[in-house]
Amino acid sequence: MSVGVRHAARPIYPFSAIVGQRAMKRALLANAVCPSINGVLVRGQKGTAKSTAVRGLAAILPDIEVVAGCPFNCLPSGPLCPRCKALADKGAVLGPVRRRTRVLDLPLGATEDRVTGCLDLEAAVRDGVKALQPGILASAHRGVLYVDEVNLLSDHLVDAILDAAAMGLNTIEREGVSFVHASRFILVGTMNPEEGELRPQLLDRFGLCVEVGAPDEPRARCEVLRRRESFDADPRGFLDHWADRQEALARRVERARRDLGRTRLSEAMDRLCVELCLEALAAGLRADIAVRKTARALAALDGKSEVEEAQVREAAHMALAHRARQAPPRPESEPERDREHEPPEDRDPPRDPERPEEDRHSQGGHGRRPDQDQDPRPPDADQDRPSQGPGQGMESVFAAGEPFRVKPLDLKRDRRPRTGSGKRTRSRVRQKTGRYVKSRVSARPTDLALDATLRAAAPHQAARDKNGLAVNVEDQDLRQRIREKRLGHLIVFAVDASGSMGAGRRMVASKGAVLSLLLDAYQKRDKVALVAFRGDQGQVLLPPTGSIDLALKRLEELPTGGKTPLSHGLASAFEVLDTQLRRDPDVLPLLVLVSDGRANVSMGGGKPLAEALRMAEDIRADGRIQSLVVDVERPGLISLGLAKRMSASLGARYFKIDDLRARDLAVAVAEALA
Amino acid sequence: MHDTKPVFPFTAIVGQDRMKKSLILNVVNRRIGGVLIRGEKGTAKSTAVRGLAAILPDIEVVEGCPFSCDPDNPDMLCPACAERLGNEGLLPRARRRIKVADLPVGATEDRVLGTLDLERAIKKGERRFEPGILASAHRGVLYVDEVNLLEDHIVDVLLDAAAMGVNTVEREGVSFCHGAEFTLIGTMNPEEGELRPQLLDRFGLCVEVAGSMDLAERMEVVARQAAFEEDPHAFMHRWQAEDRALCARILTARNLLPDISLSEDMLRLVAEIAIGMNVDGHRADIVMMKAAKALAALDGRSAVERRDVGEAAEMALPHRMRRKPFEKIGLDRTRMERLIEGAA
Repeated sequence: MSVGVRHAARPIYPFSAIVGQRAMKRALLANAVCPSINGVLVRGQKGTAKSTAVRGLAAILPDIEVVAGCPFNCLPSGPLCPRCKALADKGAVLGPVRRRTRVLDLPLGATEDRVTGCLDLEAAVRDGVKALQPGILASAHRGVLYVDEVNLLSDHLVDAILDAAAMGLNTIEREGVSFVHASRFILVGTMNPEEGELRPQLLDRFGLCVEVGAPDEPRARCEVLRRRESFDADPRGFLDHWADRQEALARRVERARRDLGRTRLSEAMDRLCVELCLEALAAGLRADIAVRKTARALAALDGKSEVEEAQVREAAHMALAHRARQAPPRPESEPERDREHEPPEDRDPPRDPERPEEDRHSQGGHGRRPDQDQDPRPPDADQDRPSQGPGQGMESVFAAGEPFRVKPLDLKRDRRPRTGSGKRTRSRVRQKTGRYVKSRVSARPTDLALDATLRAAAPHQAARDKNGLAVNVEDQDLRQRIREKRLGHLIVFAVDASGSMGAGRRMVASKGAVLSLLLDAYQKRDKVALVAFRGDQGQVLLPPTGSIDLALKRLEELPTGGKTPLSHGLASAFEVLDTQLRRDPDVLPLLVLVSDGRANVSMGGGKPLAEALRMAEDIRADGRIQSLVVDVERPGLISLGLAKRMSASLGARYFKIDDLRARDLAVAVAEALA
Repeated sequence: MHDTKPVFPFTAIVGQDRMKKSLILNVVNRRIGGVLIRGEKGTAKSTAVRGLAAILPDIEVVEGCPFSCDPDNPDMLCPACAERLGNEGLLPRARRRIKVADLPVGATEDRVLGTLDLERAIKKGERRFEPGILASAHRGVLYVDEVNLLEDHIVDVLLDAAAMGVNTVEREGVSFCHGAEFTLIGTMNPEEGELRPQLLDRFGLCVEVAGSMDLAERMEVVARQAAFEEDPHAFMHRWQAEDRALCARILTARNLLPDISLSEDMLRLVAEIAIGMNVDGHRADIVMMKAAKALAALDGRSAVERRDVGEAAEMALPHRMRRKPFEKIGLDRTRMERLIEGAA
């Protein structure tokens, strides 16, 4: 196997020279003392020494003893891998060697065959032998598996790792190779939550979770700078300078590992562990186990013969942060963490608009803002008749209301991969984009997975006529690449900008709602387009773009005035979506209608509202477009429920503006007002 | 220093001083970590990058090595060179220009990272690594035009390599690892969408460019472009002296760099600006410090002064400000000036 520069050769910033970041360092050390804690997830801003710490960990991990030459890192005293077992059965002496514990990188661009292992192509072609080429899961056994930006890792790879992690075994059944080997490793992941969250199953797999940030204290920051500069100027000299402290730390870890078995956990402390888990409503027994193990590891690290309350609390903080369903035990909880407690996006959040709690808050909120209800205009009983209210015919530009955080919209937008199966309509070009993660059998592949095809062909070479080539490929060997691509939504906002929206600050609130959804779209890197309808037309203010900033600008400039051509708005929005869908069938389209459901101008001359409802049904019948209706009908007046009808016709999810708010925010506001 | 393909001389570029400065700083100290150039099309961004690479002194590489191994850095040799060194005791040397490797927006992952060598696999049944764009960028410049239009998964692998200076490939049956230390230079038009924060942060510096609004300057741009197109070699010859002078200045600065001192006051100023401007992480501080030192070195001074820190901050911070959603990327200048003066 060709292997390149190993990181060990390059000077690595010493672990003990990292300034501050106590929680992160302690969590990593606890794992070094007790690998069965099952790893750490380090969450934090970019540029906070996350990767530096993980890479530095290798230098202070105790050496391990392995069977010389075993690619599966067998412990000489067993259990042995099939290869070593065969050797031992033949009476061979399995020479033990000591070597450093490895920190293995799992790069984001990895393919599944390299993670689990696959057929050894060279051996198959050369010798006609079906042998295993061990993968990363083999090399990582008894070491550390490090995934930088773990939240960006492909789902296929996550599954492969989770399977191995759950069993401590890697089972390979592919390309005619059948093999099982032990794969127990400390899983360390780092991530920046700005880039999206982690799947809950993977989250729970990490024994511990710590948050890191940069200190807001000049002295610490200056020290970071000083050390960094002297490391960059002379890495070897810097390592020499820190050698004593590194050595001391490594010895401490080794001693703690030895003492771990003797570190007592009293009944009182055991009870405290349970209490803290209960208090946090931690899901599953994994939390309890992690707290106990971590507390003991920390105590051993601190040279204590018995676990004390301080270590239990510290351990609980690390082990429960990502599992707690309530606030974690420490008061200073980081705000980012809250996102983990939201229901996963593929689960249905309650969609009933009559949720008691939120409704109470939203109505309470409006009750305290009397200006909203001071519109002297009576409600239009018959919206099909052009209304004569003030503001119509005149144009005015309203500012956007304060943006708020939007709750998960239940749109299956969670980077769901759309993989090759059953998407015939896609063009070749489309199929060749995205990340190649694995392959499948295919009689007529459009995107040949060369490596997999060759591996499939390799074992049969002895029986085939090869025409001077090393490998003769036949139809049955052909493999298609399975690619995975993260897809954003295309969100088309259709916004009612008619004169009636000017009344009662409704345009302010509408713009606020759109702004908030734009914010949400920005974080999820959706594309957006903006359609406004007023007077007698629907107007595409902004064709689909990735620039949310531009959308915001158009939104701010959007004037209000004129009649309400709802059908025109729907038609324009549909046209935008339809064009994009023709161009790229992979787009996940979403129509967001911001309206009170009124209509008083028709396209064909019929009844405006009936026409709009028909059009909505057509869009629904089309079947490609998800939609969402944000009802901006003024509260406090007689409700016409037109937007709700519109929503039913569209088959849309229905929200009142205030229902859009993330729950925690709504609660916080209500509390602040009380 | 003559290549077959003529390159518009760096020093003949009219105006765009901030952009040119940011590029030069990266050449003085490669660890500054690249530049993101934001602005409209047709502002000499690509010309500047290629022009600068062309005037830099050649680098020493192991002859014939596709990974541009440095014969003087035994820690970072590719497997073939390491084996060669072990067997033969020394490595054949060659000198060549600094390369500018282009990463096109439509590049596929296997082209970027490298992949299984097709020919070897079919003809010999051998599993060999075929180097990709990251390999050719090693010890040179990786230039990404329209970096904001890059597909997400390409950005991910780019981040991986940029962060570690190493490209780890575990795909298509190939396991390989080679050096990938490059100066990342990206251009983008912000109207076409923003970059992900994580990628933004990887660029050491960030500068804005705009076409000149000065009539005389614009005329000069056109005149020089015309002269270059008419007779590139004559035009290059005319600017050779200036290009050489700049190269000499860069080399002097490089030599000076290790001895540039940064007083405690200046160090504190860097930290206070970072805290006061509310940036994420430590990278802003580190880049500010390195850029300030490079600025002092370019000026031929031996100590970092307040103005160096100020100028460095203007390039190191705009893209790192923790901004409210939709806030424009940029600096609150009054706040920064207050910080710089306040710490006096």
